[in-house]
Amino acid sequence: MVPSESRHFDLTCCELDSVERLRAHLAGGRTLYEVREDGQGGRHWQALTADDPTPFVAQTEPPPFAAKAFFFAEREAVFRFDGERFVAIEPTAPAQVLFGLHACDLAAVAYQDQFFAADAHYQARRAAALLVGLDCRHSCSQGFCTLVDSGPEVRAGTADLILLPTEAGWLLLIASVAGAAAVADLALPAASRDWPAQRVAHRQQVASEQGDGQWLQDGIAAINAAKVSAATWESLGLRCLVCSGCTTVCPTCSCFAPLERKLPDGSIEQERVWDSCLYEGFQKEASGHNPSALAGQRVQRFWQHKFGEGFRQTFGRYGCVGCGRCDHVCPGGIGVHAVMRKVGKPCSN
Amino acid sequence: MLELTPRALRLLDFYADGQDSRHFRLRIDAPQPGDLAVIPGQFFMLGVPGFGEAPFTYVSPPDEGGEFSALIRSSGRLTARLFELESGASLGYRGPFGKGWPLLLGARRVLVVAGGCGLAPLAGWIEEALHHAAPLQLRVLYGARSAPAQVLGRERERWRQVLPLIETLEHGGPEALRGSPLAQLDRLFAEEQPQVVLCCGPEAFMLAIAKTCVRRGVAADNVWLSVERRMHCAVGLCGHCYIADSYACVDGPTYRYDHYLQLLAHGNTGHAGGELGVGPC
Ligand SMILES: Cc1cc2nc3c(=O)[nH]c(=O)nc-3n(C[C@H](O)[C@H](O)[C@H](O)COP(=O)(O)OP(=O)(O)OC[C@H]3O[C@@H](n4cnc5c(N)ncnc54)[C@H](O)[C@@H]3O)c2cc1C
Ligand code: SF4
Ligand code: FES
Repeated sequence: MVPSESRHFDLTCCELDSVERLRAHLAGGRTLYEVREDGQGGRHWQALTADDPTPFVAQTEPPPFAAKAFFFAEREAVFRFDGERFVAIEPTAPAQVLFGLHACDLAAVAYQDQFFAADAHYQARRAAALLVGLDCRHSCSQGFCTLVDSGPEVRAGTADLILLPTEAGWLLLIASVAGAAAVADLALPAASRDWPAQRVAHRQQVASEQGDGQWLQDGIAAINAAKVSAATWESLGLRCLVCSGCTTVCPTCSCFAPLERKLPDGSIEQERVWDSCLYEGFQKEASGHNPSALAGQRVQRFWQHKFGEGFRQTFGRYGCVGCGRCDHVCPGGIGVHAVMRKVGKPCSN
Repeated sequence: MLELTPRALRLLDFYADGQDSRHFRLRIDAPQPGDLAVIPGQFFMLGVPGFGEAPFTYVSPPDEGGEFSALIRSSGRLTARLFELESGASLGYRGPFGKGWPLLLGARRVLVVAGGCGLAPLAGWIEEALHHAAPLQLRVLYGARSAPAQVLGRERERWRQVLPLIETLEHGGPEALRGSPLAQLDRLFAEEQPQVVLCCGPEAFMLAIAKTCVRRGVAADNVWLSVERRMHCAVGLCGHCYIADSYACVDGPTYRYDHYLQLLAHGNTGHAGGELGVGPC
């Protein structure tokens, strides 16, 4: 999908008798991924074949990993040096479908579409992907999409197709030219139900579950007024175990490091691998000088990136899409809820 | 799309130019029109195969044949390897990147202040200013740790003939010029109040110079700094060079002082931990 093409696309709505039939249809000619339980308590993106018999389950909790790695690879080769010349390594981009993405994760993809707008590797994979979103009817346990304008209904311009669950069965929203083309052969009947009202009802339900978000507003205000003291950041930094869990699961984190590899034929391949601004050496210079030597400075950096006004102006939204994953993974208990509550409290600054 | 793959660069020759520093002459194999558009203060990524890439500033910008020069101090793995290479070695080049110094200042009294290797990104600007049609009252204040640590010997020799070049040393040299360049500002401001100040050196040093100049009446938006940050991609993607919501590889390394202060207010930079000195060279 080309993101810009769908931004002003007028949604149309169809009756969808079977999500599985849609899924099987989309899986023809493309690799389709869906989040599946692994039977041991884990959930993963898995490739399905067109004849996969497992019923589709609309999951309330977003998967442990967002869509990030599909486009911004955890590790990939960028160029090779053959002794004389540097040769670009072109990205491989098989046609793929991500099926059942939550609104927050789609908002994050749209955010990264902007950030990586001129990155050939990201864009090649992105252009070859069809995104099928899923509107949420209830809030997940840690999420706050209604407070950061990312959900619960999939935002315009972030998906090609949108699954809309209702009491009376499934509806499918056609949300881009690519989405329309992908389902044209299914000849789905137009829906006669009042689907916009259905989506508003979902939004109100989730918003009531997520509350007024004063904790978040206070935290954001304190960060942008530069009111949070170094001591407060440092007290949070003391709880950072430098595991990089947050930066790994956060769908809008995008830092990477270069890594060189000697190949058996003597040539050298340069890769890029995910990095984390929470690592102590992230900004360390050869001289030993380190502008973010303190853990508190690095924790501050992470949240500046998520809620800083400058970033919001550049990208048209906050870097945090409210998925709650950092709360799930942080072993030190400094996910988004704890941090924003702490920095937003006047007495702690 | 962003250029992430280096182009071939040839090491032509080099000479020693200050302690642990060499002045390299390099040539881009297949120069492109964009290579001629370098603005002093911009930088390039030097690829040393097997040792990665690192940012360096142009001392002289690429000419039609793709030749340019850079002053490089040996400080880590990549530079140590570079210093082992002979003329003719194959290197990698990406650039130019970042924002350079303001070119047309509309001002006539300019003070350039450099600490250590911080003279390198200013050299191209000084050369250009000397060839500028409009007459410019340019003074250069350059601080180094010691005489052997001073860089850009040949350039300074030339400049000394045509402009006031005040050289301080932390150790050695004449008594009146011993210590930090900061100590010279009293005298220089008394002689003539500059309208514009361009400064490059260790961060704490630059901030001290800028603060002093502003206190003495230079407008904060007429003071410019060139800031160093660890860099890898040079195109605003890898995240390593952040300063608050700015990426130094794209928005810098040259910042206007008032803008830079705003970044510091919202950022987490530990510049204050640095020493006030002119740095290792
Ligand atoms: C815009 C800019 C211009 C510069 N111009 C010059 C110059 O003209 N002459 C000069 O001698 N030095 C310059 N430097 C500093 C120079 O980049 C570092 O000294 C050099 O990267 C040290 O790396 P190394 O390979 O010796 O160390 P390594 O230990 O091999 O460093 C590993 C990598 O980390 C990064 N890195 C480490 N330290 C720095 C640093 N201080 N700044 C940026 N990246 C770093 C580089 O990508 C480097 O390849 C400049 C830095 C910046 C940001
Ligand atoms: S900061 Fe936390 S809640 Fe916000 S998008 Fe990243 S992982 Fe999700
Ligand atoms: S060097 Fe990668 S973002 Fe600046």
